[in-house]
Amino acid sequence: MRKDDQGRIHLKLVFYGPSLGGKTTALRWLYGKVEGLQKGEFTAIEDETNRTLFFDYVPMSAGGRVLFDVFTVAGQKRHKHQRKVVLQGTDGILFVADSSPDQREENTESFEELKMFLGDDLGRNIPIVVMLNKRDLPNRMSRDEMLDLLGLGSNVPIYETIALQGVGVKRAFQAIAREVILKRMYK
Amino acid sequence: MSEPKVFDKILTEIIRQDKGVKKCILVDKTGLTIANVSKLSAFVVDTDSIGAIASAVFCASEEQGKNLQIGELEIVTSEFSGGKIFASACGKGVLCVVSEAEVNIGMIRLVMKKQGVQLAEELDKFLAVEPMPGKDELDEEDLKSALEELERV
Repeated sequence: MRKDDQGRIHLKLVFYGPSLGGKTTALRWLYGKVEGLQKGEFTAIEDETNRTLFFDYVPMSAGGRVLFDVFTVAGQKRHKHQRKVVLQGTDGILFVADSSPDQREENTESFEELKMFLGDDLGRNIPIVVMLNKRDLPNRMSRDEMLDLLGLGSNVPIYETIALQGVGVKRAFQAIAREVILKRMYK
Repeated sequence: MSEPKVFDKILTEIIRQDKGVKKCILVDKTGLTIANVSKLSAFVVDTDSIGAIASAVFCASEEQGKNLQIGELEIVTSEFSGGKIFASACGKGVLCVVSEAEVNIGMIRLVMKKQGVQLAEELDKFLAVEPMPGKDELDEEDLKSALEELERV
């Protein structure tokens, strides 16, 4: 939690997860379709094929003096150091897992990397919400299989989402924003 | 805790040093813009996103330096056909200066280095964890209100 020169509270939320898992799609959906949120400009550092090179960034607010600075990371393996930079000072994580069976290893690697970067803070001081994305795939992994894969128990809020259609995305965002605020209020 | 106006004062000092300097932004290393001053311009920019990129680029370069074991990063200079962007370390923050293409680089570096020390001191006070009396309650009100608003989205 940080404050700007006008005394407004800023909370940093980061969409994390494997490459092409739907992080940017989810953020773009929130940006374009959710009317109740006030949003600043969408900043994207991406290549010519629209793949994230560094991060996407949008400031959002539900009103009042609390702002959410929402970032995504670049998912490709070679951008590991950029991800570490984007994670600096994060208050909450939205982990976007890919339900495609051929992304099994990528999901695990990405989650392990996140645990390595944040250590014991993950889930303890930094709340996490998991989006099981691409639930419209006919050959999607089952929810239990994915939770086993990531080693997640019942203590982490899980949302099944279809980022392309926005299914579950708003609820997942509300969940992480709520978790982060509650963490600040009752820490 | 440092007064936010102190930052404006220091940034104004920097912007006045060279007529080619157009904008000064102070960001923290998480990408949050703490303060900024600009010369009048018809071209409106989104300072928050400029600050977020400036911080990320600086921190990425810092990371690069660590990986290559080439010491501490002092300044990042980006040269464009129509202008320059300088970013330098100032304690827990990053000072970003945007200028025209034709500018006295040596002078800008010197000013950034000198004022960076002062900014670093003020930032330490600004980011100090000691709460002001009654401040926690105010924050809690803001957070509660945000929680309520969030449910209505």
